[in-house]
Order: sequence, then structure tokens, then C-alpha cells
Amino acid sequence: MKALDRLAADFRLASFGSAPKHTGPDHAVSDPAPSAPHPARRLSSVRSPTALIALISSVLPPPVRTYGLPIGATVVVAAVVAVVGPGFYRPANLHVVMQQYAVLGLVTIGQVLVLLVSGIDLSVGAVMNAALIIIALMNHYNENLLLVSLGLCILMGAGVGITNGLLVSLRDVPPFAATLGMTACVQGAILVYTKGIPAGNIPAALRPVALDGFGIVPFSLLICLGIGLVVIVFLSRGTYGRMIYAVGRSPEVARRVGISVTAVRVSAYALCGVLAALAGIILSAYVGYVDPAIGGTYNLQSIAACVVGGVSFVGGEGKPAGALIGALFLLTVLNVTTLSSLNPFTQLIVQGVVMLVAVSLFQLVKRGSFP
Amino acid sequence: MSIGLVRFWSRRTLAGVAVAASAVLTLVACGGSSGSSGTKTYTIAFISQGTSNSWAAQLDAVARKTAKADGVNLVYFNGQGDGTKQLPEIDAAIAQKPDAIVLVPLGGAADTGPVERAMGQGIKVILCDSTITSDNYTTLVTPHAETAAVPLAQWLADKMNHQGNLLYIGGLPGNTTTTTYDQGFNSVMKNYPNIHIINGGNANYSISTAKQLAATAIASGKKFDGAWGVGGEAVTGMMQAYLDAHVSPVPPIGGAAATNGILRLAIENKIDVASLQFPPTSSQVCIDTAVKAVKGQSVPHSINISELPQYGPILPPLDKYYKPQYSDDMYVGTDSVLTLDELKAINLVK
Repeated sequence: MKALDRLAADFRLASFGSAPKHTGPDHAVSDPAPSAPHPARRLSSVRSPTALIALISSVLPPPVRTYGLPIGATVVVAAVVAVVGPGFYRPANLHVVMQQYAVLGLVTIGQVLVLLVSGIDLSVGAVMNAALIIIALMNHYNENLLLVSLGLCILMGAGVGITNGLLVSLRDVPPFAATLGMTACVQGAILVYTKGIPAGNIPAALRPVALDGFGIVPFSLLICLGIGLVVIVFLSRGTYGRMIYAVGRSPEVARRVGISVTAVRVSAYALCGVLAALAGIILSAYVGYVDPAIGGTYNLQSIAACVVGGVSFVGGEGKPAGALIGALFLLTVLNVTTLSSLNPFTQLIVQGVVMLVAVSLFQLVKRGSFP
Repeated sequence: MSIGLVRFWSRRTLAGVAVAASAVLTLVACGGSSGSSGTKTYTIAFISQGTSNSWAAQLDAVARKTAKADGVNLVYFNGQGDGTKQLPEIDAAIAQKPDAIVLVPLGGAADTGPVERAMGQGIKVILCDSTITSDNYTTLVTPHAETAAVPLAQWLADKMNHQGNLLYIGGLPGNTTTTTYDQGFNSVMKNYPNIHIINGGNANYSISTAKQLAATAIASGKKFDGAWGVGGEAVTGMMQAYLDAHVSPVPPIGGAAATNGILRLAIENKIDVASLQFPPTSSQVCIDTAVKAVKGQSVPHSINISELPQYGPILPPLDKYYKPQYSDDMYVGTDSVLTLDELKAINLVK
């Protein structure tokens, strides 16, 4: 009965051309409009495949809409891969995918937190670079300082995140500008300190974190999934999760009900910075060589994973589980195109088209309304 | 209160004007001046690849040293390792009206317009290491990557007995050096139809990306009889991927500009690697050529630095090229131009 009410409400909202906003753990859609067309009447007006998808999605419960497409897309890609590139399912390849997923997954979890408070973090790549530089320089001649360097990486990530959060919250700097400026500052600091030539090495003791594990499952993946699980639980059941969604949906309303918007935002950016630093540590362990541009594409990849996973740019909408599935989808596409041995230029086109189709479909399914 | 505020802002405004005026004066002073002895101090705008990697850092160090030795004023413009970011730097350099521009082009086609504009304004333009899609420049100083890559590709084909699968990891799409390296590689490989090139993707001169691409290719189960990486980063990433995958023996790898780190990894793990001694010292020739040009001396339209002694293929055995006293980032041959102290100043000495 409850599901039917929600369905009816969705239909009515859809008839006004507005998207029902999925509002985190307790998405209640109220204020139904009075003139909802009957589903059968809507079915008769379907004139295109996209409209059909929208209609089908409109009768799905919100959790299915939220996770359905990323899971469905990943399953479709996996099925296609089974036919065209069976090498994907080799244990060795799955091991590589898991190693790479652990890094992207961690960055994506951080990015979700920031997106949920209607921010964006373009400094995660720079934090990853800085983590590598700290590890490499502090362990240049001996590895006694490994633990200290790891602690310093986490502190650095938190520091960058807190600064981002304060700039956004207290100085009203747009998140895009604040984190982009922070990227320049962090990269500049790296260059000033290293003079453009980072000496040092990645300690051998760190490498098992990314290279070893239980069977084909690397330790790094367990770390990523463990953190992911904690974040999912906190966001869906805890007070902190409700505050995050409330701040993302409407900072004004959140403020009126006594939530410290600044504290919530700063904490989200700080966690994002910490997770980016952790990802940088794991990626350093995986690569095993001093590459000062190690965080290169992770800014955009993490944002893309979130978008594919249904996290909105406007804040307060989306789930970390969806983003993690989005990251898996993204990485699967990247892996499969690499395995395909296509021309690299063609690979880029394939990756782009698949992502665009996935995101377009997701928007359609999420909206549950005719375009 | 309001008067105080006005005074405060006035002081700040005055201070700002003073800073701006001094900056303008500095730029005017940099724009070419006569020294006390009456000799003109030439200004050369050096539009570098920028603060992006150790290659560029070494190229910049050599440029600064050469400019100091030649007694010219070098104004540095940072391309930040990105063709799109370098473009406004070129325009900014032209606006300064220097006597000459030394440009390390990051985007051959995109840089053509600004270079032609500079030439149209009578500014000498020296292209360093890479070219544009026009011959409207003063001098091109390049090692001719197309021909330089040929002996490496030939070595790799021979090591593969002219057959089998070859893993290819590319450089930066659109980058002229990448394109010319590819031309040299393809000119050799087209003679061996039994060598099947498996494209692993573009690493964009990133070790991390190269390692991830190579790890994926290795994990696919395909057996590779040889590997080619465009740039030292690609070759380093490939070696790391093979070592971490515990593949033994690692197939022969070719294609890189030789760094001390590549040689160390290859020697320590007994990997056959063919690389190119292609140190970032071309900026010395570029600055010297720019100085000659602004002094009105005759300069050639093209200088092939592959013919200089510090350039050439490095084939196994590699021990004689590896120098353990230097860091992994040092390009083999850079020490032919920079002294030990100068290398130490840019973190290249252990």
C-alpha cells in the first residue's frame, strides 16, 4: 500500500516534469499533485525506447532506481565481456582489476561525501601525489620512518581537506575554485620542495599492501571495502549521515534545525582528503616507483564514478554504494577496452560513449519521467 | 571610522600601485636594455615544457646555466606540461616583445599560430626538441626522434626473431615527440608482418598509468615476446608491471629515453632494455642558437642534435652507462653538461 502511494506520488510529480528528489536514507515524497495520469494511459503515449525506459523505471521502487542501473550496466558489460573478451575473467586479470579498484574506490568514497554536501573536490589527485612524495622522500635511505611517513600522509590529507572545507564554508569560495586552487598550492609545494625532481624510493615493506592478499583478493581491496562498508552504514543509519544529507539538500534548513553546516562540510572534505591520502599510499605501493604525477586522472575518474553511480552534483542525493558500483563499472570498461587491443584513440571513443550512454540512461531511470 | 577606512584603503591602493609600477619597470628592464658598458643585454623568453617532470626540470636547469654563460636575460614561462596551458604562456611571452623565443612545443598544431604571430612581429623563434606544423620559424633544434627510434625498434625486432606478440604502450596523443617516435617505430615494424602489435593504450608519460595498462595486458594471458614503450615513463611502468606479475623472463623492452632508473631496474632484474641516450641538454643548443640569431649571426633552419656525442642508442650490456651515484631521475648524458654541484642542486645526486 505504501509502495503504491509512493508510486502514485512519483507519477504526479512526473506529470509536472519535475524529478522526485531522492533524499538519502529517508526519502519521503510528499505533496502529491492532484492530476496524475493513469499508468495505462501513459503506456499508450509511449513513442520511443527512452520513454519506455522512463515509464518502466517510474514503477520501480527508489532503491532499485538508485542501484539498478550501475549494477545492471556492470552486469551487461560483464556479460558482453564474457563473449568478446573472456580474458577478463582470468584470475590474474581479476586480481589486477581488484588492485586498481581499491584505489579508485577509496577516492570515490571520499568524493561521494563531498558531493553529498553539494561540494566537489578537485584536489584529490594532488593529495595522492603529495602522499607519494612524502613516502618517497622520508624513506629515501632507510625504511625506519615508514610508519611516520604514512601518518604524515594521512595528516596532510586531513589538513588539505580541512582547508578546503573552511574555504568553502567560511569564505564562501565556490568548491570548484577552492579545491582547484588547493591543487595548485599542493602541486606548487611539491615542486618547490623537490625542485621538480623527486628523489627517493617506495619502501619494499609497503608494497605487500597492494600486491599481496588472500588468494587473488589484495589487502588493499579489503581496506577499501571495509571503509566503504563503514561509510555506507554511517550514512544510512547514523546521525552523521542524516546531517550530511540535510546539509546537502538545504544548508539553510539544516542550520535552522541546529546542524553546524560548517562542521559537517569541513568533516566531509577532511574525510575526502584522508581517503585520497590513503589511496595515494596504496597506489604508491602498487606502482612501486616514484611517479610525481601518480594521482593524474583520479579527480575526474572519481567524479565520473559518482555520477555513474547516481550521486548528484546538487548535493544531498546519492549513495556511496551506488558510487562504488559506478567505480566498478568505470574500471570494468577501462579494463575491457585495454584488453580489446583496440587503437588507443578508438579506446577513448568507446570509453566515452559507454559512459555517456550509462549516465544518460541513469538520469532517465532516476527521473522516472518522460523526457 | 569611515575616514580611517578610506585612509587604510588609500594606503593599500598606493601600495598596490607602487607594486604594479615596479613590476612594469622590471618588465621594461627585462625587455632588452643596454648595460653600463653599452652592450645590449638580450632577452630570451624560454617557454618550457614546464614544471611537470624531471625531464623538464633538467632541461630548464641546462637552459638557465647556458643563458647565464651567454650573458642573456632569460625570462621563464611555465608550460605546466600541458599543451593547452602552454598556449597562453606563448601569447604572454610574445606580449613581452623579447628578442627571441625558445619554445619547447607541447602541441605541434596548436602552437603553430602563436609561433607564426611571433615571427610576424620580428621575434626570432627557436623550436626546442619538438616541431610545429609549419616551417615558419627561425631554427628547429631536435634529435630527429623518427630516425633516433629506428635502431631501438630494429634491436627489438631482432630480439623477437621478427615474430610474435609485441606489447605497445603509447605516449601522449597529439604530442609531436610521440608522433615522431611512432613513425620511427612503425617504419621498422612494417617490415615484419609476423610481429603482431598489441595496443595496450596511451600512458600519457605517466609511470602509474603505464604500469596499470601493462599489468592489465599481462594479466590477459597473452604471451608477449617483446614490448615497446614511448618514453621512459612507459618503459619503467612496463618493467614494474612485469616484475610485480613475476613473469620470467621479462621480454625485451625498447623505446625509452634512458634514465638512470631504467638502467638500474634493467640491470638489477636482468631485463634486456634498449633505450636512447637523449638527455635534456638540447636547451643548451637552443639558447646558444637564439643568442646567435638575435646578434644577427647566421643560424641554420634545422639542427639535428642526434649527431652530437651525447645522443645515441643504448643497447645491452647496460653496466657502462649506469651511474649509481646519481638518482633514478637523471637522464643518461645530463652530466655531460651539468656539473656535480649543479646536479646536486636539482636533487639528482644521491
